[in-house]
Amino acid sequence: MLGNPHKTRTIAGISATPLSGLGTVRWYRSGEQPDPAEISAADPETEQQRFDDAQAAAREELETERESTRERVGSEEAAVFDAHLQFLTDPQLTDPIEAAIADGAAAELAVDEAFGDAISQFEGMDGMMAERADDLRDIRDRLLRLLSGGERTDLTDLPEGTVLLAERLTPSDTAQLDPDTIAGFVTMTGGRTSHVSIFARSLGIPAIVGAGEELREVREATTVAIDADREVVVANPDAAVREQVTVGRDVTVQEERVETRDGTEIEVAANIGTAAELDGAVDQGADGVGLFRTEFLFLDRETPPSEDEQFESYVDALDAFPEGRVVVRTLDIGGDKPIPYLDLPEEENPFLGSRGIRRSLGADSELFETQLRALLRAAAAGEGTLSVMFPLVSTLDELTAALEAVDRVASDLDNEGIDYAKPELGVMIETPAAVMMAEEFAERVDFLSIGTNDLAQYVMAADRENEAVAELHDPQQPAVLRAINRAVEAAHAHDAWIGMCGEMAGDPELTELLVGLGLDELSMSAVTIPAVKANITEIERSTAVDRRDRALTKNTKSMVNETGNQ
Amino acid sequence: MIERTVTVVPEDGLHARPASQVVEAANSYDSSVTVGPAGGDSVDASSMLGVTSLGVGSGDAVDLTADGPDEQAALDELETILTTPES
Repeated sequence: MLGNPHKTRTIAGISATPLSGLGTVRWYRSGEQPDPAEISAADPETEQQRFDDAQAAAREELETERESTRERVGSEEAAVFDAHLQFLTDPQLTDPIEAAIADGAAAELAVDEAFGDAISQFEGMDGMMAERADDLRDIRDRLLRLLSGGERTDLTDLPEGTVLLAERLTPSDTAQLDPDTIAGFVTMTGGRTSHVSIFARSLGIPAIVGAGEELREVREATTVAIDADREVVVANPDAAVREQVTVGRDVTVQEERVETRDGTEIEVAANIGTAAELDGAVDQGADGVGLFRTEFLFLDRETPPSEDEQFESYVDALDAFPEGRVVVRTLDIGGDKPIPYLDLPEEENPFLGSRGIRRSLGADSELFETQLRALLRAAAAGEGTLSVMFPLVSTLDELTAALEAVDRVASDLDNEGIDYAKPELGVMIETPAAVMMAEEFAERVDFLSIGTNDLAQYVMAADRENEAVAELHDPQQPAVLRAINRAVEAAHAHDAWIGMCGEMAGDPELTELLVGLGLDELSMSAVTIPAVKANITEIERSTAVDRRDRALTKNTKSMVNETGNQ
Repeated sequence: MIERTVTVVPEDGLHARPASQVVEAANSYDSSVTVGPAGGDSVDASSMLGVTSLGVGSGDAVDLTADGPDEQAALDELETILTTPES
């Protein structure tokens, strides 16, 4: 072990889940490169082979990127990849690399130094020469990444009791984690509403995010505790801390539906991304599924899932809740999620671009139709009640077109003699436009569901992944709260039920406020269900309505927050 | 060995696409090919690093040399690249 292995170190972060854990550190080196100077070299032959392999892999990547750039942007822009390919095999670079390797350097150091020399030649020059320095940096970083890539941790098969430490984890990284074996993870970046946190909650994994640079001080193989209550990660924890994080804080799981003390039933459901999360949802006492994010059926594969494959997944979900309801969100995909078989355009701002229902009614209309066919068939075949909702609707025309698509699919299935049923239909309230149009939407559908993460992001113009604006991105901002209230009133005025499926719904401290606002359903990460159900049974609806009334008159977030303490 | 002096026409000079084309062409012949500013030091034309480090701009004169079995063809192609405006 390196450094001072016994020093206790406490690093503050943000608890992504209410779960604590204890385990052994495994660093995940994905986005960051180890210092090339600190890598010890194997024999020159091995190092040369490593360099050759990295070079070949870089070539393959560059050729792929060149082709996709050529198709999407233009051949002129793609030419930069030609230049990169030529730098990659340039003898003026590869000769010194090979010489250094022959002298006993590790491939990383050889690459770093050869490129460093070339970069310094171009640095400080103006215009086109300076751009060459940038090109060389790109190629160097690509090679270093590929060189370290061979040693990348396989996240699917971590030893039991691993606490994974990383600068950042992507959604597909996190999705690989096995909640049965991993003890937790800690990331340097991220916030409570980052995708990584949502995954952690869905999977029920102890996790601290946003731990910052200090996390780098924690060495491989150290014992660490994740303390969700104190929102800290502790390296080399003492006995007291160990006990604190390993003693189960028992929250009784209530499988039956719950109501407030004065008899208002509130449906408490789980947000899930994959059928694998169904068991966890049932175990935590979910009444059903309030948000089934179907895009995960479509990610990390070469071709879209077939109608039958989707049908199976939806039926599985419905069978898991024979007495309950499963709300499926149709494909919500945009330029921020790479999907090889979709021609997703590069957009300046994918969160304001072609995504959600916009793509389903446009470029992805065939996928949308296939999904609707699978859903309508599942509605007839599965045990529970199916509800289908459309993401990112902002106009009545979009809703009308989506509803027409459902009718079209239904009549096709009818003509083909295939068994189907019309599910409940709903609209997600995620944009300010949807809030303003909520009455018109509610007239035409069975339910609305408020996605508070996106609603807060769009109402406050504050990126949900950006910690610098986390203060703005908060559902307790009066502007967001009033938008929620307006949507609830619109739904109830037109006999539609309304749910909430953002992170706000699973915050036990806000349950009273949400009951007061009149939400009929709350859907959240499975791990928070027991705490929220317990809260509901202790709430008096009239008191909750008072709290809502007080909160709605407040002008600042802190004043809204204080209404919870009165 | 044969030698030729040409004036560079493409707007970007020996950068970006024209530089890539020169390097690609130089690599496709058996002859060894050099390029350099007229009267100055030449570099191996098959090295992207060498070619772009010359800092040759549009309108500059460059010396080309080729030495080998296909030297004539090599110089002809390089001259074409360097004297054809970019589309």
